[in-house]
Amino acid sequence: MGNLVQAELRKTTTTGLWWGLLIPTAVLALGWGLATGLLGQFFVDFASSSDVDEVSDFLGVSPDQWKVSLFGMARAINISTIFPMIFGAMAISGEINRRTITTTFLTAPSRMHSMLAKMLVYVLWGAIYGLVIMLFVSVGVVLTSESGQLPDAGGWAMLTLVCVLSSILMTMFGVGVGALIPNVAGTVVLLLLYFLVIENVLHGVLAYLEVPAVIGFLPNGSINGLTGSVAVDLFLSTAGVVPPEIEDVLRAIAGAGGALDWWWSGLVFLAWSGIVFAGGWAVTQAKDIT
Amino acid sequence: MHDGSGLIAVQNLTKQFGSVTAVQNLSFTVSPGSVTGFLGPNGAGKTTTLRMLLGLVKPTGGTATINGRPFHQLGQPGRVVGAVLEAQGFHPARSARDHLRVYAAAIGVPDAQADQVLGLVGLGTAADRKVGGFSLGMKQRLALATALLGDPQVLVLDEPANGLDPEGIAWLRTFLQSYARMGRTVLISSHLLAEVEQTVDQVVIISRGQTMFYGPLEQLRQSQQQRVLVQPSDVNALAMALRNEGVQTIEQLPDGRLAVSGVDSKHVADSALRAGVSIYGIQEEQVDLERLFFQLTSGQYAGYAPAPYQQQQQGGWA
Repeated sequence: MGNLVQAELRKTTTTGLWWGLLIPTAVLALGWGLATGLLGQFFVDFASSSDVDEVSDFLGVSPDQWKVSLFGMARAINISTIFPMIFGAMAISGEINRRTITTTFLTAPSRMHSMLAKMLVYVLWGAIYGLVIMLFVSVGVVLTSESGQLPDAGGWAMLTLVCVLSSILMTMFGVGVGALIPNVAGTVVLLLLYFLVIENVLHGVLAYLEVPAVIGFLPNGSINGLTGSVAVDLFLSTAGVVPPEIEDVLRAIAGAGGALDWWWSGLVFLAWSGIVFAGGWAVTQAKDIT
Repeated sequence: MHDGSGLIAVQNLTKQFGSVTAVQNLSFTVSPGSVTGFLGPNGAGKTTTLRMLLGLVKPTGGTATINGRPFHQLGQPGRVVGAVLEAQGFHPARSARDHLRVYAAAIGVPDAQADQVLGLVGLGTAADRKVGGFSLGMKQRLALATALLGDPQVLVLDEPANGLDPEGIAWLRTFLQSYARMGRTVLISSHLLAEVEQTVDQVVIISRGQTMFYGPLEQLRQSQQQRVLVQPSDVNALAMALRNEGVQTIEQLPDGRLAVSGVDSKHVADSALRAGVSIYGIQEEQVDLERLFFQLTSGQYAGYAPAPYQQQQQGGWA
């Protein structure tokens, strides 16, 4: 198994795809980080200058101590992890496309061994992407935010953890879909459409139907919940007592409307990844490589 | 684990793709120590058979084993069998050396093996070039290098001469023969008998998914009766004389010559002398393997011969 993992790792490092996708990932993360700080600043200025003092009294802290950057950071992580997901999606579909899958299967004890080795390597890549995303989001946020709006050390650590987790899970999900739909273009288009359009529409519909709880169980809803819930929790931990209605609004801002606890969200998305991977495995196992 | 015999055994192998029967009840064995040709016209089921042997295509029925085991039970398949298949791809942006190092890692052989096989197939100087810029022949050599990485006991090659220049084909021939002489098993497919005739010792000939012949090439040659082609001054006199001596299979060819089977040219010449017939030309026909091959595999996808032009009959009253 160690041999196959090394082989799969070499496959990823001997072509340019890993940095070809890592550059836009970093740029996007940095951009979101910068925008987060600016928007947060704008919001805090607005809240401090006008007559929204009631809200600040309500939350128990003055607006300049609101850790508003948390929400933007959660959103930035959600958007940026689209790239590691695409990277994962190319793992198997790309090999089928280029017909290198033949040699891969000829040199592995079984197809299951190949797929597991691939999964392990892409978990590692997911973690690397996650760390890069966190780094660039943080740089962006720190550059444009007042220190009062930034999380404390524990908050940074927690956000880093969920960012890396989220990136790993998204990569695994991509690997599974790439195996299920062994076609590069089809896989990428479907994933982008689903995560950027289809599920957002679904969220709207579910909210309209007043069953927002379902959102937390959908793929994008659960992966958003992983980071969004942590952001809301961190925000609330320094904001005093907050009534449930306001908390719902905050969750929606963080992209975690209807979401469960962060670890629950993570488990739900892990289950989605598992289902997709099992389907991809079944397809790959039965496939005639001609 | 496998038995290390180097034996390939295909038994009652059948594959159906939907309603199309690609391979039907195919059986043959391939022994180590010789190069075996796997022959048949395009679409006869050669590639499908080889892919079933290599675990890439699931048979509908029957078994295909290497060293007594189906492919997925070989444990470390890359060290037992190496394969060059059609439509086996490379990542165009990967260098030849990187490509080999990926699979060297998978098989579990040291990286130095990558450079060694590159030298073996004559690609040593192209090691750092990206495969995307390789010619068809170079890709074929790289595919062979990949197959040789694990120093396998069994080598399976699907149409390996495709894309190779004459020099490359000659090199491949020598290489495969010496590989087999080391006691290893070599199975190579082709749709042209002439292409592999000088390379192989054994042949398996299939057509329409079924085995038509399987055995030594020499036996195939001998299965064709030898004929003497003779051009006598008097065809009828010679035919009569031969018949009187008990020779029955005499055939008149369109060019006026006689084709006599079952006797050698000396016998025919002596008969002609006794019958007072002059001989203008005589030759023993070389066995034409290609024609045999056509006979064995004929029919598949053969078009109808154009019908001779016939004047329409205009009825009986004219």
